[in-house]
Amino acid sequence: MSIFELLTKIPRQIIFLVIGIAIAIPLIVPIGMPVNIMPKSRSLFQAIDTLGPHSKPVLVSCDFDPQSMPELYPMLVSILRHCFARDVKVMLMALWPQGPGLVELALDEVPRNYGKEYGRDYAFLGYKFGVAAVLLGMGENIKGVFPFDYYGTSLDSIPIMRRINTYGDISMVISLSTGDPGWRQWLLYAQSRYNASLGVGVTAVSAADVYPYVETGQVIGLLAGMKGASEYETMVQNEGYSDGILRAVQGMDAQSLGHLLIMIFIVLGNVGYFAMRRKK
Amino acid sequence: MNPSPDPWVWFAAFLTLCIFSFLYKDNLFYQFAEHLFVGISAGYLIAITWHNQIYPNLVVPLFFEGRILYVVPLAFGLFYFARFIPRVSFLVRIPIAFLLGWGSGVFIPAIFQRDILRQTQGTLLVREAFEKWDSGLWAVIILIGVICTLIYFFFSRERKGLIKPMANLGIIFLMLGFGASFGYTVMSRISLLIGRMQFLLGDWLGIIQ
Repeated sequence: MSIFELLTKIPRQIIFLVIGIAIAIPLIVPIGMPVNIMPKSRSLFQAIDTLGPHSKPVLVSCDFDPQSMPELYPMLVSILRHCFARDVKVMLMALWPQGPGLVELALDEVPRNYGKEYGRDYAFLGYKFGVAAVLLGMGENIKGVFPFDYYGTSLDSIPIMRRINTYGDISMVISLSTGDPGWRQWLLYAQSRYNASLGVGVTAVSAADVYPYVETGQVIGLLAGMKGASEYETMVQNEGYSDGILRAVQGMDAQSLGHLLIMIFIVLGNVGYFAMRRKK
Repeated sequence: MNPSPDPWVWFAAFLTLCIFSFLYKDNLFYQFAEHLFVGISAGYLIAITWHNQIYPNLVVPLFFEGRILYVVPLAFGLFYFARFIPRVSFLVRIPIAFLLGWGSGVFIPAIFQRDILRQTQGTLLVREAFEKWDSGLWAVIILIGVICTLIYFFFSRERKGLIKPMANLGIIFLMLGFGASFGYTVMSRISLLIGRMQFLLGDWLGIIQ
């Protein structure tokens, strides 16, 4: 077997093993590659950074499941850190049934580091089934859609919810989304119909779909995959809002090395293929 | 190294390794983890739907608060099961017709606004786009890209004359778009692997923070 034939027939198990090792090593021994901030991530950061204690609350919708945690959970944690550091009030909800568990995980971790109190500084509305009806209903009356929070307390008795009735009473909506339902529905109903200001965090696989809407200003900022999460973590840390663990930044070394390796495999495979074709 | 004392973390690590074993070849451990996942997901979804939707939005108002009008959505819901009984299977058309009518009314204007009006506005060359040279350049490239890509999908005329090079340019824009999407897909999949590695090396084995 020639070297070129070998290149076209590398067993997939070997490729998986090599990529696995290439991912694990930078996690154990970090390289510390720099994180460049993209304008679309900075736009979202700046939009939140202009808010303060007297601003209307930010609504974060966790439209993802544990499968997307590596990309979207660091975004959720960083956005909460950013909002709490600036004393911005936060409302959370989910369009995915798996979302509430992830929100609770973040709420166990973040608010206590900033001395934030449930009901006064943040509220969790929970998950609601029926996307279109939920998002359209929120445009008319949020308390009609969510009469109770996730823990069964009436929204009327939660201090930060007393004056919140529609999207007009919210500074912006941020959808952390892994598919449907997610940012598309927020854009379709909350932004297009009710003019709500919308920021989006998505898995990398969906990022290319969001770009046209950022260009037109329908989406005010975009965090794209683990890269976007690492950019947000970096901005939050650089501004002194947090000194917590940066999970996405930690993963970016491995991400870069993994990409490099995949590019090498693509080039080797193509070299082998064209060399073999020329031989025939 | 500081392995987790939590047995659930160990169980999660075991299931992760079961799934990873498929990378070598299909086996009993992989099938066990896969079936467990499917079963738990189905059970979780049923429980969530009951507690979050059916009970508070139908059972409570209809049976505990006596709001009789809720019989209508109950009937609509039950009509879906009519397709299992051939004699009354036509009843399934009622909720489907209702959903189609409502859905079209809600979706069409919203999609028109989101994807056509605003996106067309975004493609137009306006004076503000040329306030900076780079944004002006991108605006021109976007306009050329949109026109050439639309011409590529215009099949009513033979591709000759000016249409041919424009359609070819459209293909280049399409390929660039596919390439970007594929690159993002690879990034997403690698991120999933990184997430599991962080769990195995961090939460489970305690090698990393």
